[in-house]
Amino acid sequence: MFCYQCEQTYRSEEGAGCAGTKGMCGKDAATADLQDILLYACEGIGQILHRARRLGATDIEADRFIIFAFFTTLTNVNFNSMKFVELIQQASLTRDRVKALYERASYAACKYPETLSGAAAFVPAKDMSGLLAQAPEAAVRKGAESFGEDVVGLRALILYGLKGICAYAYHARVLGQERDAIYEAIEHALSVLARGESDISALLDEALAIGRANFVAMEALDAANTGTFGTPAPTSVRVTPVKGKAILVSGHDLKDLHAILEATKDKGINVYTHGELLPAHSYPKLKAYPHLVGNYGGAWQDQQKEFAEFPGPIVMTSNCLIEPQPRYRGRIFTAGPVDWAGVRHIANEDFSIVVQAAQALPGFAEDAPEKTITIGFSRDTVLGVADKVIDAVKAGAIRHFFLIGGCDGAAPGRNYYSEFADEAPKDSVILTIGCGKYRFNKHDFGTIGGLPRLLDMGQCSDAYSALVVATKLAEAFGVGVNELPLSLIVSWFEQKAAAVLLTLLALGVRNVRLGPTLPAFLTPTLVGVLVDKFGIQPISEAKADIEASLSRAA
Amino acid sequence: MFKVSLITRDGAAIAFDAEPSESLLDAAERSSIYLPSSCREGGCGACRVGREHGDVELLPYSSSALSDVERDSGDILLCRTQARSDLALRAPFDQAAVGFSPIPERQAVISEITPAGSGAVRLVLQYEDDAVFGRAAQFTAGQFVELSLPDGSVKRSYSLANTPNWDGTLEFYIRLQPNGAFSSYLKDRAALGDALLVRGPQGQFTADEASTAERWFVAGGTGLAPALSMLRQMAEFGDTRGCRLFFGVNRVDELFALDVIENLKNAMPQLIVATCVWKPETHWEDFVGTPAQALTRALTEAAERPDIYVCGPPPLIAATESAALAASVDHTRIFSERFTPA
Repeated sequence: MFCYQCEQTYRSEEGAGCAGTKGMCGKDAATADLQDILLYACEGIGQILHRARRLGATDIEADRFIIFAFFTTLTNVNFNSMKFVELIQQASLTRDRVKALYERASYAACKYPETLSGAAAFVPAKDMSGLLAQAPEAAVRKGAESFGEDVVGLRALILYGLKGICAYAYHARVLGQERDAIYEAIEHALSVLARGESDISALLDEALAIGRANFVAMEALDAANTGTFGTPAPTSVRVTPVKGKAILVSGHDLKDLHAILEATKDKGINVYTHGELLPAHSYPKLKAYPHLVGNYGGAWQDQQKEFAEFPGPIVMTSNCLIEPQPRYRGRIFTAGPVDWAGVRHIANEDFSIVVQAAQALPGFAEDAPEKTITIGFSRDTVLGVADKVIDAVKAGAIRHFFLIGGCDGAAPGRNYYSEFADEAPKDSVILTIGCGKYRFNKHDFGTIGGLPRLLDMGQCSDAYSALVVATKLAEAFGVGVNELPLSLIVSWFEQKAAAVLLTLLALGVRNVRLGPTLPAFLTPTLVGVLVDKFGIQPISEAKADIEASLSRAA
Repeated sequence: MFKVSLITRDGAAIAFDAEPSESLLDAAERSSIYLPSSCREGGCGACRVGREHGDVELLPYSSSALSDVERDSGDILLCRTQARSDLALRAPFDQAAVGFSPIPERQAVISEITPAGSGAVRLVLQYEDDAVFGRAAQFTAGQFVELSLPDGSVKRSYSLANTPNWDGTLEFYIRLQPNGAFSSYLKDRAALGDALLVRGPQGQFTADEASTAERWFVAGGTGLAPALSMLRQMAEFGDTRGCRLFFGVNRVDELFALDVIENLKNAMPQLIVATCVWKPETHWEDFVGTPAQALTRALTEAAERPDIYVCGPPPLIAATESAALAASVDHTRIFSERFTPA
């Protein structure tokens, strides 16, 4: 195996990357290799779809397969090697189908179809041992000797950015929102990867194209979430347990959460959100369920302790899953793209077994003392008070905005983000998205001009909302986004953050501080490009970075 | 007081202090570390670990649980070993098999008790609702529990034959030992509604989920129970990997659970079953001989090396291990649970 897609990848003086029998995330070597093969097979499908689309022929089922397949390969999603053998066979069948489609479309247009080599012609073995023998052909660092590390790193950036888009696009799709532009961009990027593109500027352009497509994906997901469940509004959320039977729902999928709320209606079972599902409480149609009682636990990396202590079943609807411990392995369930060998997977959104489990397990014996936090500062809420905000800025009551967003993780350097939030001056407003907020979202930040100083805008995908707000505020002030008194303090862990970062770059947003470490797949040359061309800065010390951000604004 | 450090198979370090007067198993439990064990009397081998260095005193144990060769290579039984210096140990199990909270003790009542062939019974218990555990029967397929009689006088460990469930049901196949204390109870006095104390789940004889190899189960008599549990779990999860069951008894009239096996074959078309009778008293169409002999034959015809799970009396374990090793199955791919008559 070789994998360096996430922030916690193994780093040593010899270089970075998980290359042993197991990655830092717990993914074993066979699963990692099979994931590479699945992605390579998808490159082949994309290569053909891209050509078919130019002839006016599309296959939406193939596009849907690609986004699901890519989603399974994100960090902390799917650890089940057997599942990948199955997915690779499906990829092979899908490839054959789109190949026939492309050939028909070519002949219909009186053209000869191209004879494609590489990924499009790859014939995966039927069984595990055969597939594992094919792994070198699909390795993420393939061609490093001939093309060099910069090319390999940029290809990885595109591949991981694609994973991020695919995750967002999948969540949007299950709620009925799809965009042709997203599929077209995915196919294009896969085709670029499949042809072995080695020109740095062509690859950089492709990475930015992925960033633009990811903006569309986040917009689609926003439309899906708000269209289905209403516009989020400020909401007080209980963060301590309530007496009674309990289900914990983790991941990002609002649709699964909704299905669980429906399945538990009037059954005397309380439903709790975990991690990135916290924003669910602010959507009117989810909030309307009285048994959606609160949020439990912290960010994903604390789950082994917190899940063990949760007295009911746990459902993982997407990342981040880490190895289920014996104390809760029998009562954790996976859904959608998530899978772990030996853990029960729920297909077809039938959560009845989770309901049974909740009824059979003890639940919370007592009410804990009530504590709440306030969330749900969606773009409509923030823009609804835009006048107040603008006045406060003009009057000098608000000096600066910090968007502290992204993923959390276990690395000690991540204390930077809580320190940053705590140390930010009292006349600054902190906007936050993603699960990195768990480091500080229970702290008391007070208010500013009648507004809370900490505004929780939602999941990582709500970067879309943050960007819309920034754009509108910039319009109101008659400046560009980069001239706003706004700094972006981004923590990354997995590939959705990579996609969001590409979006920021593609939209020309500068002043992004990125940490806790820079992606291992970015070589010093590539980091140089990001710094020079896009103004990206690695984080340093919180206090120094706050000072630097404020002085830029001054 | 000595320092004991134990490295698990997956590289986790576990440390505890041990007095020279206590077994290492008790010492670990005093530190809330619950290491895999079963009989706690040196009879089953469930608590066998390797010793890298340090001095110990071994109290009496059964040679079926620890062979002389194993002992000479440094292996010890945690339940029968006292420290005589600081110790460094190497465990054959993963950290996941180690508990860090006490093993649950719960009440369950007998809901079914029926004969299972001529020498065993099928016992079904139902957990009572419990403020701490609810009524769920949570365990990993392949594990066992320790049952105590209503008066607390007799304790015996039995493997579960069903899968984890939310109804609180525990199913066992229990061989009736002549003059066995628990067996006499089951034969003569057990009644529906009797409450038993259940301590568990325990044990590490569970499927290695990280492996993608075929799973072959070798079961002697009521050693079928954990194999049924794991196979039923595979059926529930829709596991499509190759799997085989070599189920053996001495005489045809001892066979039991054939309907369960038939259902498994229907649910998992890939399951191949050899029902082996060692000394059939009548004509027997399937394999005549021991399950270890049936395994030997099947291994010669198999292209890939499977993972082997064997449960039964010590001679069957020994025969299975030597058959598997002779057929080039790596010794780390043989998982065993021996049961000892009591």
